[in-house]
Amino acid sequence: MTAVTQIVSVQMPDTWRRRFIRGLLYGGDVDRAAKARARVGLAILAFVAVYSVIAIRLVMFAMVSDGRTAHRVGSGDAVATARPDILDRNGEVLATDVRVPSLYAEPRRLIDVDEAVELLTADLPDLDATELRERLSSKRGFVWLKRDVTPEQRREIYRQGLPGIGFLRENKRDYPNGPEVSHLIGHVNIDNQGIAGMEKWLDGHGLAALHMAGLATDRLQNPVQLAVDLRVQHALRDELVAARAKFKALAAAGVVLDVRTGEVVAMVSEPDYDPNNPREALEPSRINRLTTGVYEMGSTFKAFTIAMALDSGRFTLKSSFDAHGPMHVGRFLIHDFEPENRMLTIPEIFTYSSNIGAARTALAMGVDAHKAFLKKMGQLDRLRTELPESAEPIVPKHWGDLNTITIAFGHGLSVAPLQALMGVAALMNGGLLIPPTFLRRTPEDARALGKRVIKPETSEMMRYLMRLNVEKGTARKADVPGYYIGGKTGTADKVINGHYSKSSVLTDFMAVIPADQPRYLLLIMLDDPKVLPETHGFKTSGWNAVPVGGAVVARIAPLLGIRPRLDLPDADHLILASLKESR
Amino acid sequence: MILRVLNFAVIGALVLAAAYVYRIKFDSTVQAERLAKIRSEVRRERDTIAALRDEWGRLDNPARIEALAKRFLPLKPIRPTQFDSLDQLPERPPQLVNPDSPDPIGSMIETLDEPAATTGSIDATRPVAEPPPPPAETAAAAAAEVPAVKSGRLDR
Repeated sequence: MTAVTQIVSVQMPDTWRRRFIRGLLYGGDVDRAAKARARVGLAILAFVAVYSVIAIRLVMFAMVSDGRTAHRVGSGDAVATARPDILDRNGEVLATDVRVPSLYAEPRRLIDVDEAVELLTADLPDLDATELRERLSSKRGFVWLKRDVTPEQRREIYRQGLPGIGFLRENKRDYPNGPEVSHLIGHVNIDNQGIAGMEKWLDGHGLAALHMAGLATDRLQNPVQLAVDLRVQHALRDELVAARAKFKALAAAGVVLDVRTGEVVAMVSEPDYDPNNPREALEPSRINRLTTGVYEMGSTFKAFTIAMALDSGRFTLKSSFDAHGPMHVGRFLIHDFEPENRMLTIPEIFTYSSNIGAARTALAMGVDAHKAFLKKMGQLDRLRTELPESAEPIVPKHWGDLNTITIAFGHGLSVAPLQALMGVAALMNGGLLIPPTFLRRTPEDARALGKRVIKPETSEMMRYLMRLNVEKGTARKADVPGYYIGGKTGTADKVINGHYSKSSVLTDFMAVIPADQPRYLLLIMLDDPKVLPETHGFKTSGWNAVPVGGAVVARIAPLLGIRPRLDLPDADHLILASLKESR
Repeated sequence: MILRVLNFAVIGALVLAAAYVYRIKFDSTVQAERLAKIRSEVRRERDTIAALRDEWGRLDNPARIEALAKRFLPLKPIRPTQFDSLDQLPERPPQLVNPDSPDPIGSMIETLDEPAATTGSIDATRPVAEPPPPPAETAAAAAAEVPAVKSGRLDR
């Protein structure tokens, strides 16, 4: 700045600037003409300054006025934040925003609080009068009185003409399918923020930030498409509700997983709740047992034990293990449910579901190998999906021989059922461990994401065993002709107060359809099913979870686009033969 | 003198400019209001669409459809045996009636009487029911296809 004035003073040593300063400073004895000119110059300067301020303000007003009118029009609504629609894989609406009027008051502008309370409670009987009076007497500028007012009530309140009472239209989340997809999709709180399920996931992925910035007020966000198929979801839920009622089970749960992509096509955990009424979700019996609960999965874990033995290359399908029972381990006795008391080959161990055979198989591999294999299969770490709810598996702190023996047949290690399903899917799909997802995923993405955990041949052998188990083993009741189901049953004694219960069990069934070219994996789980006359006193998986699984497959396979093939040979000829050919 | 003319001209120009600016401003206000109105209309339409989609979702809910179907329709769940593939369909029966012919029964008798060969008594341009025998190459190709079809059946 000083440099500039120096330059100016050098260039114009004795011109208007000097004269101007002289005019401001000098008294009456100076040249009057010079003084007058200086005054005029000063006046010009002042006017220029004032007018330029006015001009700049005018330009500013002109530029912002459009935005202001738009805001004025939109201010009657768009208070609560908007959320994107959620669609199923076929584009059916699972969750959407609807606009509903909400009642508010400006207490400062109210004239007579008593009158207002009286009139409002007359129109809205569910409003609490004392609470209303408290709110209206407060000195705040704005209070919400009631959200989601019906159109008739709104008309009545308008008619009363109370000052300081008004309506704003708010976004309200609506779930047209009710309890059908409850746990998967979650729900929102009264301020339209996701607090469970995929709704919470949405908030965690940018939506919350948009809300903070006040940008997510309009419906201009792209809908989110999930992997779930509403039709399959309904069929699964319908069968599970029926099964839960029939077997008087505490709970029933099921998942349909695409083994090639890891997409969860359906997921039901009964009892569930209606997301339109989120208060139901707080009841502890309504948790999502598939991701939030951990369970000892029972004999389905034998699939991991056998796969480990086969994948090591040390054992083949012809290897056999001593299954004379009962097996003594320390002070424990291990029994088979249907004792054979002879040497059993690996397929026999699998189809008879021999605990002793599985235990000896795991022991032959060793404790460390067993632990490492289950770790590789993702059974020892918390499984994280898009759903915010997840549970840590309960892994024994000191993993000794006894732990390996019990874990070999699915006791002593509690995992989330979805986690076990992910592991079995890897055994079926050719050996890729793909984390399950609730969003759409292409097979290419899944292959890039998947981690190879077992050899493709081992996977083929496991599929053979699964199919064999349906043809000859414990899962015979699931054999729906045409869909070539393979499956493994599991029955675990429930732990009640730290002891294994003699009377209540958890049964589960994992089915792969079709076993020769696996596309989907189904899990059915029943918590504490009761004995029925038609189950002849049994409550093992084969009598409850398995028939339910068969019924579900018969219903969902056509929806999933699986063509029935009725003239297929048995597992020995189809899967085993192709396995030998490929060697 | 010339300065005064200039002054009047400038005043005139000023008035004109003011009028013009006023008109532009007025127009733009009208446009802005129209825009705001259309925006609010669009918003309302979108909300209506959302409400209707929501209602459609409710009406289209599989549980509701199933309950209605059970009540009003004699339909039953589909069984695996009810599916079949297109190549399992029987051959289309040979067409006996030539649709273009004025005398359907006569043409049916002719088709039945006549083998594929054309005799002098029949117009050669008349469309024949059976296609002419395939040339040797296609016949060979067809023969080659036979095992493929067989293995296809085996797969099923």
